[in-house]
Amino acid sequence: MEHAYQYSWIIPFVPLPIPILIGMGLLLFPTATKNLRRMWAFPNILLLSVVMIFSVDLSIQQINGSSIYQYVWSWTINNDFSFEFGYFIDSLTSIMSILITTVGIFVLIYSDNYMSHDQAYLRFFAYMSLFNTSMLGLVTSSNLIQIYIFWELVGMCSYLLIGFWFTRPAAANACQKAFVTNRIGDFGLLLGILGFYWITGSFEFQDLFEIFNNLIYNNEVHFLFVTLCASLLFAGAVAKSAQFPLHVWLPDAMEGPTPISALIHAATMVAAGIFLVARLLPLFIVIPYIMNLISLIGIITVLLGATLALAQKDIKRGLAYSTMSQLGYMMLALGMGSYRAALFHLITHAYSKALLFLGSGSIIHSMEAVVGYSPEKSQNMVLMGGLRKHAPITQIAFLVGTLSLCGIPPLACFWSKDEILSDSWLYSPIFAIIAWSTAGLTAFYMFRIYLLTFEGHLNIHFQKYSGKKSSSFYSIKLWGKEEQKIVNRNFRLFPLLTMNKNEKPYTIGGNVKKRALITNFGYKKAFSYPHESDNTMLFPILILVLFTLFVGAIAIPLNQEGMHLDILSKLLTPSINLLHQNSNDFEDSYQFLTNATFSVSIACFGIFTAFLLYKPFYSSLQNLNLLNSFAKKGPKRILLDKIIYLIYDWSYNRGYIDTFYSISLTKGIRGLAELTHFFDRRVIDGITNGVGITSFFVGESIKYVGGSRISFYLLLYLFYVFILLLIYYFILF
Amino acid sequence: MNYFPWLTIIVVLPISAGSLIFFLPHRGNKLIKWYTMCICIFELLLTTYAFCYHFRLDDPLIQLAEDYKWINFFDFYWRLGIDGLSIGPILLTGFITTLATLAAWPVTRDSRLFHFLMLAMYSGQIGSFSSRDLLLFFIMWEFELIPVYLLLSMWGGKKRLYSATKFILYTAGGSIFLLIGVLGLGLYGSNEPTLNFETLANQSYPVALERIFYIGFLIAFAVKSPIIPLHTWLPDTHGEAHYSTCMLLAGILLKMGAYGLVRINMELLPHAHSIFSPWLIIVGTIQIIYAASTSLGQRNLKKRIAYSSVSHMGFIIIGIGSITDTGLNGAILQIISHGFIGAALFFLAGTSYDRMRLVYLDEMGGMAISIPKIFTMFSILSMASLALPGMSGFVAELIVFFGIITSQKYFLMPKILITFVMAIGMILTPIYSLSMSRQMFYGYKPFNALSSYFFDSGPRELFVSISIFLPIIGIGIYPDFVLSLSGEKVETILYNYFYR
Repeated sequence: MEHAYQYSWIIPFVPLPIPILIGMGLLLFPTATKNLRRMWAFPNILLLSVVMIFSVDLSIQQINGSSIYQYVWSWTINNDFSFEFGYFIDSLTSIMSILITTVGIFVLIYSDNYMSHDQAYLRFFAYMSLFNTSMLGLVTSSNLIQIYIFWELVGMCSYLLIGFWFTRPAAANACQKAFVTNRIGDFGLLLGILGFYWITGSFEFQDLFEIFNNLIYNNEVHFLFVTLCASLLFAGAVAKSAQFPLHVWLPDAMEGPTPISALIHAATMVAAGIFLVARLLPLFIVIPYIMNLISLIGIITVLLGATLALAQKDIKRGLAYSTMSQLGYMMLALGMGSYRAALFHLITHAYSKALLFLGSGSIIHSMEAVVGYSPEKSQNMVLMGGLRKHAPITQIAFLVGTLSLCGIPPLACFWSKDEILSDSWLYSPIFAIIAWSTAGLTAFYMFRIYLLTFEGHLNIHFQKYSGKKSSSFYSIKLWGKEEQKIVNRNFRLFPLLTMNKNEKPYTIGGNVKKRALITNFGYKKAFSYPHESDNTMLFPILILVLFTLFVGAIAIPLNQEGMHLDILSKLLTPSINLLHQNSNDFEDSYQFLTNATFSVSIACFGIFTAFLLYKPFYSSLQNLNLLNSFAKKGPKRILLDKIIYLIYDWSYNRGYIDTFYSISLTKGIRGLAELTHFFDRRVIDGITNGVGITSFFVGESIKYVGGSRISFYLLLYLFYVFILLLIYYFILF
Repeated sequence: MNYFPWLTIIVVLPISAGSLIFFLPHRGNKLIKWYTMCICIFELLLTTYAFCYHFRLDDPLIQLAEDYKWINFFDFYWRLGIDGLSIGPILLTGFITTLATLAAWPVTRDSRLFHFLMLAMYSGQIGSFSSRDLLLFFIMWEFELIPVYLLLSMWGGKKRLYSATKFILYTAGGSIFLLIGVLGLGLYGSNEPTLNFETLANQSYPVALERIFYIGFLIAFAVKSPIIPLHTWLPDTHGEAHYSTCMLLAGILLKMGAYGLVRINMELLPHAHSIFSPWLIIVGTIQIIYAASTSLGQRNLKKRIAYSSVSHMGFIIIGIGSITDTGLNGAILQIISHGFIGAALFFLAGTSYDRMRLVYLDEMGGMAISIPKIFTMFSILSMASLALPGMSGFVAELIVFFGIITSQKYFLMPKILITFVMAIGMILTPIYSLSMSRQMFYGYKPFNALSSYFFDSGPRELFVSISIFLPIIGIGIYPDFVLSLSGEKVETILYNYFYR
């Protein structure tokens, strides 16, 4: 069975021919290539399935006998330096490659339908396989340089795919923002790599860990420098995984097509940061400060992501913040040293979130036809609602994904999240409290999204009743980004209190205006309903539902022969675990039960609150009245309102972090650019031009002086003679 | 050894064939263009053939050497020869000049003179890269200025005379220092002038004198390279010149400065170089940041690219200043790599300018739909310019980084600081290059604004951009293509620093 290992260098190269061929085809023979269209999608999926089978084979071998296989070739050789390329197969690689390929295949199948009407269908597929190539390259890479190379390449693919619809200014800005933010992380990563190279003189993981441990053991390294380098390395992971200070790109990245959001910005690429930290955990684990930093960043991100997700109007942005929060859980787990829980959550979250994104894509796809092709409208949850009737299969799938993410028992995320939460108790009570309460928040915002989208009435039909009240501040803007702010200012509470305040008509009125516009132009029929998506889109969703249902099973202990071993543990035998040093079986299961009940009850509390607040309009009239009567009860209620208002304000404005960045960094860099430009033009160039002008004037004056007038010459002559005499006189006496 | 004068033929052929242009019958521009094109291709093939069969990579010494006495009176020889350092730039020159001639296809005004000048420049550049005699180097250096000046002053934008004058004054000013240095080196010590590089390399000077020579050469090459604060001719020149001239300027001419730094300052004046190298590194680091942030403030598309190439030259300077095998290899790789990337970016900017007729970035926008091929190539090349892995720029910059890290000359703290600041340049690069491509291509155009229809790039333009792109990606994937050329020579150069 060595063959599988021997030939596994092929993993990243299998999907590579497709982007090359499509790219060349599009450049050289555009029409012929475009005519083939679907012909290109099939080999794409086929090649990826080949990789999937291969990686499944690899991971089966990893389960049977966990071993690390590494092979390197030299890339450049010189006397002084040599870089190597190679591949490195261990359990982490096999898990990641299975994850990438499975999600990738389903997303490709899905996007065949999703993108079928797009002009740039082929370009999309080319980018996708380029992404798959570089992501697979990332997970199989054997040294830090290779990691850096593929790290940048996945960043570039993400850039290209976010800016896929390049005519939208929002997308153009978002892709640049994503790239630059990631580049800040890459900056840290590169410096970290260089620093560790300087310390240990190696890039290979195995050598690196060994040498570094020896150095630490012998106390031969400068501690501060090591910590600095490690935190710089970690900065790369922070940017890629959208952790706290550098998370700003992720929600904006939702400008890309939805399949991209599912594959890149939920399941695989954002997990690359987790992958990197997991890969380098032997390195980080000997530097305690770094582990604390990782868990701190993780917990901040968990909380921040969850609070920011509370009031998003855009369905995909809500999911993006939720992704961020879940990635924070993984980072927290890594920081706590529970490697297994982090990877487990990585797997389960990838499937659940891919499912949610594909579901939301299905909704968007059906809404687009009704409300218009702008993300401001088709992804706006305010305009959705009641989609349960129109898209029942999507609704079921979405519900499964939501429940999984909330942590409801039989579904995937429950197992992994519960593991992280219970581990967090062992680590630090404060972190644990935050993590637990965020689990409740997660349940709340996920159900908020679900309820707003699927329950109640389809809000676009309210237009009939309130068409007259159209307002000026929700004007139609096809690429409307600027208008949103005004709306936000007026409707901060809108998504929360959408049912018991009378702001609704305004929005709907705006919508009417837009629809009227459309009907006038005759683009669309006046009344249409969103409809269920095609089978090609539903098939991958359903498969992912299956994954979400059963993927948790890989970590359920098969307790038959008294052996406490599940598949995941088998896979990760040499795994690092700081927290469970010696735990006994019975205590473990007891603890598991209590923890599970506790976390499920918190999740249920969150769900219940969400129901209370976003309960469908028609079915709960009394309830609403109850709430309204509560509202009139007194100052306590007003205080609560204020708090809610504050939270929603914070959440709506994305915690003011984006604003802060745009004020401080963007303006700062722009100011610096202006300053240097000014300096360059006025001072450096000014000197040059000044010299030129001076020489011109000198020449002119000499020309004037040398005007060939005898009298002037005589005057000059006498003048100098006079001065000479004067000097002579002074020196003499 | 064969004594066939390959290099003389290679150097003399373009200009002598070019002077025949004036005797060609008046049959329109087409004949001239094809004639020039054939000469260029023939020259490139000849160069490649000669280097393939008569150049041995493992030999660090001068090869294909030629030595003819030219002027008896003061010992002036026609001495040519190439080694691992110059073979790369010569091949680059052949490649870029051929493509620039192809890119200059639309030039109709005075095309005889234009093509003659292109060929004359070809000769001058190859001559200066392959000369083994100090005075010959100077003569070739000066000789190649004239075609550039004429090309700048006759074909280009509105302010072309201003920028051409600025260019010639700057470079002529630099040449004074070069001449001083050349004469000083040549006349020092012995009774009769020694101008041969080999003998000069083994000579040693008093420290003060060596420093003075070093400064003189440094100023001359700093103008050409350019090193701040002597860079201001570059944005003006690039902003105004025709894009084929820009390709030559950015692709080859700037590299002559860097080549001269290695060839003369490093090889002939090693003691002064090890004294001055920290300053070079500091200047290079400042240059990366400074030029990158100035580039951000530019509204003019070509000027923005011009500043980006100033910023990239900083890496070359740092690589040269690091005095390590790695760093110098990186610098040479960056010379070649930026030759391709800069030329390609200027070409694409020029072709898109031909269509849009807009100079300022904030007026553009939404071009991606009408010219998708240019958009594709432009985004690929701006990725290459921001050092995306897999492209040549990345490898070069990475190797320069390693050169700095492994350099034994400097202490830990300065190294960390320098690396840190260089890496900040890495953040600034995508900001300007991506925002450039965003402002040009992304977004949409209102329907009523401009109803003109643009032609996408035709086969000629596509051919030019793809054939520049292929070596970029080739070097990026397998950098040994270039490193194997220069590796041996670099070691010999550095040998002087450690064992003398």
